[in-house]
Amino acid sequence: MGRLLVAVTLPALLATLPVAAGNNEFDASADVVAVSSNGERSFLDGGLGELRFDDDHQGLQLDNVRFGYHGELAEIVHFTVEAVSYADRDSNLLDLTQAYAEIRPFPSGPWRSRLKVGAFYAPISLENRLQGWRSAYSMSPSAINTWVGEELRTFGAEYDLDWLGRQRGHDWELGAGASVYSWNESAGELLQQRGWAIHDRQATLFGRIGGATSEAVYDERLLTAAGAARAGYYLDGTAKYLDTFELRALHYDNRANPDAYSDAAYNWPWHTQFNSAGLRWTPSTHWTVISQWLSGSTCSNAEEYYDCWNFASEFLLASWQLGPNRLTARYDRFDMDQTPAAEEDAFSYNDHGHAWTVAYQREINRYVSVALEFLQIDSTLTSRLEIGEPAAAAERELELALRLQL
Amino acid sequence: MRILDQQCAGRVLSFLSAMLWAMCQRANPADLNLSVLDAGGHGVEGIVFVAQPQFELPNKHPIRTAIMDQQKMQFVPNIVVIQAGTGVEFPNSDQIEHQVYSFSAAKTFKLSLYAGHKYPPVVFDRPGLVIVGCNIHDHMVGYIYVTDTPYFGRSNQSGLLSLHELPTGSYRITAWHPRMQEPGGASPQMSVMVTDTAAASAVFQLTQPLRASTEHSGDKRWADY
Repeated sequence: MGRLLVAVTLPALLATLPVAAGNNEFDASADVVAVSSNGERSFLDGGLGELRFDDDHQGLQLDNVRFGYHGELAEIVHFTVEAVSYADRDSNLLDLTQAYAEIRPFPSGPWRSRLKVGAFYAPISLENRLQGWRSAYSMSPSAINTWVGEELRTFGAEYDLDWLGRQRGHDWELGAGASVYSWNESAGELLQQRGWAIHDRQATLFGRIGGATSEAVYDERLLTAAGAARAGYYLDGTAKYLDTFELRALHYDNRANPDAYSDAAYNWPWHTQFNSAGLRWTPSTHWTVISQWLSGSTCSNAEEYYDCWNFASEFLLASWQLGPNRLTARYDRFDMDQTPAAEEDAFSYNDHGHAWTVAYQREINRYVSVALEFLQIDSTLTSRLEIGEPAAAAERELELALRLQL
Repeated sequence: MRILDQQCAGRVLSFLSAMLWAMCQRANPADLNLSVLDAGGHGVEGIVFVAQPQFELPNKHPIRTAIMDQQKMQFVPNIVVIQAGTGVEFPNSDQIEHQVYSFSAAKTFKLSLYAGHKYPPVVFDRPGLVIVGCNIHDHMVGYIYVTDTPYFGRSNQSGLLSLHELPTGSYRITAWHPRMQEPGGASPQMSVMVTDTAAASAVFQLTQPLRASTEHSGDKRWADY
């Protein structure tokens, strides 16, 4: 009831704010959902379910309320702050998901430099194109981008160099970027414990996921400076052909030292590295096709047992839009395998599965839209055996959402 | 073969229709009737026609102000044809900031545009193609075709354009569109003689369809991540 009150009153309060006041822009959105789910106990409630809402969290509830601010200093310096309230067990009442400044000078030729500093998402997702890093095609993003939202955030700087070919009359635009960051050394831990998941619950900068060590998913914080706090990096490249194709590729390595445990840290450092690539194809104004792939490994020396897990996922999404209607179907496949374990650790943590998502969205007007989404995840997660549950699960979730946008 | 014959007959009919349309226009001796057809014989909308006199013009037409608005994160219209010396206003009808710029050889400028503010027009004084972008929203691309002739326009839904009161003489007609993909990449051109005895006409036949536009008319909810 309290969440519903927040959902109703906060947008009303926001309506009193200037939507655009000079070079300050505010926006806000709220999603209220009616959920039907047979999901295993959710990772947000100490379980190893791969959905956000389990069978104990059905019915009408607040999905999120979010606020965005975009400001400007000296014309070429822009600030973006994204705040969200999930009002669930693992979040603060209001927390940040991104906060960064971007220096973006006017191009005086086909080459343009950009510099981002702060906390923000690496350029991996081709789905999450709406303010607040939300998927434009469904409520719940793919397993890949769900994980990016859960465990990855760049706390540092990213430099991008763009070649603006279209401004020269060419059909291509190219970009290359490099980032240096730190304090994201817990990335990989949730994936190892709970496996892959599909939901729209992003981790917040100061929130946590998981609880006491007696629970299946340990206490984890996104902003974690563990041990030696080494600087990590990623390199990325983008190619765009008109508005028809966008290709992205990225190599990520947080360079965490798994041995560098510190009492001051919340968690053991997890050394995570991966490669990702994605293609978005827009053959017409009605159709969009997206495919992404991500594969890598994460290693930890937690409790002085050095172990590694290889993980991989890919998805194919097709979306059709006609006027205010959008229909999307997506197939996800995912795997996680513990590499040969130490002799004394006979148990192997693995996750194998696939998922189907079918989503329909309809815009009633510029402020209100509705969405209906069906999601089924079939997975085999061996760590469920440790909490007395079968490893295999077929989890289904049906969501009807009322989405408000200011 | 029968289908081919029908297609062929259709094309001939379309071509004859375009020619008939050209002949049936008001017989103003200084009129120029232009049309553009696709490979299937259908009129193509939005093609830019520029009639360049091959002689010294007696006087130039008065220069006007054109408008390229920004609506739903697109330039509207996204193609503007103007005579050199014309000013273009860039209002911003979106509730977000745009930073319009161009580094094209024919005109370099930058303009930060906030919703609800009015800005003086930007004057384009050199002929050439000016490609306009938004520094915040990279997917926004607009085209300002600056020509030194006052005789230009864009084809209507039927692929037709009539230019009136042209001085008699020889003209080089250019048909252009940013999504045109004719072999060789050059814009089709044709020479036409405008006389004082009958309306002149020219029919352009495209061999390739225009490249499909997939520019999304987004709103402020779309962000660049």
